[in-house]
Amino acid sequence: MHDAHAAQDWRAWFAENGARLRLIARQWTRSEADADDVLQEAFVRFWKHQRHLPGNPNALVVTSIRRSALDLLRRSDRRTLREKAVGEDMETVTWFEPEADPRLAALAESLKLLPAEQREVVVLKVWGDLTFDEIGEQLSISPNTAASRWRYAMEALRRNITARTHD
Amino acid sequence: MTDPDHDLEQALRALRPAAPGPAVTARIDAELAPPVARRGVIIAWSAGFAAAAAALVAFVFVAEPAEPEAPAYQLVRAERTRPEVQLFRPVELADGSYARPVRVRWEDTTRWEDARTQTRLIDHRPNDRLAFLPLETN
Repeated sequence: MHDAHAAQDWRAWFAENGARLRLIARQWTRSEADADDVLQEAFVRFWKHQRHLPGNPNALVVTSIRRSALDLLRRSDRRTLREKAVGEDMETVTWFEPEADPRLAALAESLKLLPAEQREVVVLKVWGDLTFDEIGEQLSISPNTAASRWRYAMEALRRNITARTHD
Repeated sequence: MTDPDHDLEQALRALRPAAPGPAVTARIDAELAPPVARRGVIIAWSAGFAAAAAALVAFVFVAEPAEPEAPAYQLVRAERTRPEVQLFRPVELADGSYARPVRVRWEDTTRWEDARTQTRLIDHRPNDRLAFLPLETN
């Protein structure tokens, strides 16, 4: 992975990380268009003002994405709808490239069945490359809570995949 | 012994998030364009507008075609019709004298032509005057 601190060309860094950043934005927004708006705003802010800051660039850019997503929700007066929006209105099909492997396809589909608080921990850990400590900071929860949500999520995913495989 | 969570995490990592569309990249590109380049674009636009304005001015004031000079009309004919005189009954004026109203009508027609442009200018003026012819009374 290119180092964001050193990289001069944002395109190379974005080409390598844009997809996972968009996924992070997508799971905090209601629509594809909102995710694109959030990603654009967050990435531009990160690249202009934050990439030179010390620390984990992943954590910085995730913070930027979360801030933009929350701002968008506030602007749209959708705060109270957030759980519903994030939990029910999402189509994870568009989150990922189509998978030929049925197990991976089932896994992608199962992700949307997770409670939002578990799903965001999964997304931040797997595609945000964040530790439980960093996830805790992002979500204002303790690292132990983050780890617990991760375990619950793994169990739930395993159950879902097993059930789908047997169907 | 295999950690089942580790396997599941690896499977999750195998999922490929959908990449942002080219529109997003283009929008970011527009926002991250170097300021100098933006100024350059503005300068380029300004220069373009200035050039266009200069061309317009040149077209209107400098490059105006020489052709539309005013036609050089020459007077070729001037006509006046025979006056039509109409006499009315005598009337008494305010000072006690008498006069006969006379109405005279005629037409003046003047014609100019410009041989170069084959154009002509015709001035046609109908005239209508009313006058009083004083009458002597005994």
